[in-house]
Amino acid sequence: MENININAQKANRFDAIVIGSGMTGGMAAKELTEKGLKVLMLERGREVKHITDYSTAGKNPWEFEHRGRTPINSAEEYWSNVRFYGSLVSEDVGGLFTNDKQNPFIEKRPFDWIRAYHTGGKSMHWGRQSYRWNPGDFEANAKEGVGIDWPIRYNDLAPWYSYVEKFVGISGQKEGWDDVIPDSEFLPPMPMLPPEVYFKDAMMKKLNRRVTIGRIANLSEAQPQHTALGRGSCQTRNKCVRGCPFGGYYSSLAGAIPAAMRTKRLTMRHNAIVSELIYDEKKQKAVGVRVIDQLDRSVTEYFAKIIFVTAGAMNSAALLLGSKSARFPNGLGNDSDQVGRNVMDHHLGSGASATIEGFEDDYYFGSRPTGLYIPRFRNIGNDKRKDYMRGFGYQGGASRAGWNRGIGMDGFGADFKKGLSEPGGWSISFTGFGEILPDPNNRMYLDPEKKDQWGIPQIVFDAAFSENELAQRRDILISGAEMLEAAGFKNISTFDNKNHMGLGIHEMGTARMGRDPKTSVLNQFNQIHACKNVFVTDGACMVSASCVNPSLTYMALTARAADFAVGELKRGNL
Amino acid sequence: MERREALNRVALLLGGAFSGPTLLALERWEGKMPLQEADFSLSSLEQALLAELSEMIIPRTDTPGAKDAGVPAFIEMMLKDCYYPREQAVFTRGLQNLTKQGFLQKSAEQKKEILLQLQQDNKPLMKAYSEEMASRGNPIFVPDRPVLPFWRLLKELTLLGYFTSEQGIKASFEYHPTPGKFQATKLKPGQKFIVY
Repeated sequence: MENININAQKANRFDAIVIGSGMTGGMAAKELTEKGLKVLMLERGREVKHITDYSTAGKNPWEFEHRGRTPINSAEEYWSNVRFYGSLVSEDVGGLFTNDKQNPFIEKRPFDWIRAYHTGGKSMHWGRQSYRWNPGDFEANAKEGVGIDWPIRYNDLAPWYSYVEKFVGISGQKEGWDDVIPDSEFLPPMPMLPPEVYFKDAMMKKLNRRVTIGRIANLSEAQPQHTALGRGSCQTRNKCVRGCPFGGYYSSLAGAIPAAMRTKRLTMRHNAIVSELIYDEKKQKAVGVRVIDQLDRSVTEYFAKIIFVTAGAMNSAALLLGSKSARFPNGLGNDSDQVGRNVMDHHLGSGASATIEGFEDDYYFGSRPTGLYIPRFRNIGNDKRKDYMRGFGYQGGASRAGWNRGIGMDGFGADFKKGLSEPGGWSISFTGFGEILPDPNNRMYLDPEKKDQWGIPQIVFDAAFSENELAQRRDILISGAEMLEAAGFKNISTFDNKNHMGLGIHEMGTARMGRDPKTSVLNQFNQIHACKNVFVTDGACMVSASCVNPSLTYMALTARAADFAVGELKRGNL
Repeated sequence: MERREALNRVALLLGGAFSGPTLLALERWEGKMPLQEADFSLSSLEQALLAELSEMIIPRTDTPGAKDAGVPAFIEMMLKDCYYPREQAVFTRGLQNLTKQGFLQKSAEQKKEILLQLQQDNKPLMKAYSEEMASRGNPIFVPDRPVLPFWRLLKELTLLGYFTSEQGIKASFEYHPTPGKFQATKLKPGQKFIVY
């Protein structure tokens, strides 16, 4: 009997285990395998194969029974997903979201939690907007006395931004705006349309505000490092959310996972829910993980020298909290009681729109997978707000109306029908993306009694926007309308969809980095302070949120931590 | 511009559902969501009336009309699958009101007059609907969400059913599912809207 166990342990032994196959898990697996490690990647959901499993990618609009609308009974199964304007449950996203009824969670305060349990995780349908943090983002907490200081600065991360940007492929325009969004290693930018160029110039002239084309992880021109992985240039279909048969946008499944696979050092296991990190009291290390097969519920243990926890901020923190031992009675690495606290996101869903007169002869061909970006201008340079800290950026753009303008118009009959076959007038719209401050009382924790179908404690969310975020939202409407007004646009209206935290799907903060083990969970290389062979490199590690989309920063932090981890292994420190 | 339409447009611009931009939230968060209960269906008389109405909105011209594109059956299916009982009831009541007026027996001119009146009556109802939506932060999948008035629901589903059908798309628009490259262009004479 003993021999059998020993054999099983040998087969289940790796240099590194990576938990999760999404944006950061993929990058961790790529970096660790490329540096020579034998890696096991554990994905809790089903396997999705690149291209062949993008079942809706080639479908025509009429092939979707409900034409992109969401049936009520799907809405019931996906009760959290539908809060995202109902759109994450429609037929065209091809089941790349997680059934909320089968994977319940608890809302002490409302939290819009969106999950993607399958190969590639949320990287399959992320927004792809990619911006570097600026130096001030890393310094703001310390300067303003908010939360704790970051243990790193922009210069620590800058080379890693460059490194992952070349691999991922970011389309964008060099601007030299180091104070707000430092330039990335860019592929050519997507073009701006004439009314957008007009708007950009008007903003600079009238309000001294900057506008650039959205920086996006779509291959405007595929480079050799992309084609080597089978990725091609973006076809401007703008159907990224269904999975791209051209590999035109970056996902873990199109990019990092094949890169790791080609080293022949990656083993992937699907349907593998990690229920616990196994801590060895004698070695004072995590020695492995316990896995429940989501289908047959069999339990397997896997062992490795180092473990990368990259399950998404909420699930990563939940895993730490659920991994209890004599040394860590409150969860692995939770000496500080900070695991699960400081939940952050970006708040969005408020903005302004208008119609544009003129430009009647201008049109466009293709469906651009990005829009305009207006970087933060509040509390930057000489701007100083009395009513709130930090700020927000805007994402938006201009387009000509399609047939659906007819829904709200008067008319019916032959002329009405014919009119709707032509392009309608121009309109422009912007939505704010605001920075949420860290607050230890915004938290998630494990319910002491309620469990999911695999016996794993359910997550309880207890978080909400503070007055600082609400003040930003008010300004998003006012400043948005002011910009459209200054540009001379008409029929200006503002909107505020009173959503909750979580809907930005930029979950962060639940195992923050820091210098002091008393107030933080991870050190400057994403190592758990008191359990150095466990690294957490997804959004959980974030100390503050900035207002820019976070995936690029997560990937840079992951590549940096993986490089450090391999170095430490070689130095015999892990 | 219709606020919902504006938001939809930004969502499309920024990569559809997930690019974050419009991420509209819903009020409901309790996680309670009753299944669709009543097995909704229309009587054959109501189906005939619906067919006539949708064809009046999108008639057959030199291109196919609503009936050619299967719009009446589409609307009935959508009402059954995607709408709550309160909304189905508003729609059925709208049809019943027209039946009471003897709509199908009227002359073409009289029918048109009735629709123009419906369009007029729809305006204050839509105003109230929009205000309630805005004040509640655009609730989407809650059984007590504000109910669209009959005319608007009819028109929205007719246009959706027609302009996303194969016949409707091919007859009305340029269709380029894989454009290849994005570029600014100039309108050509007789330029049709381009669908991707």
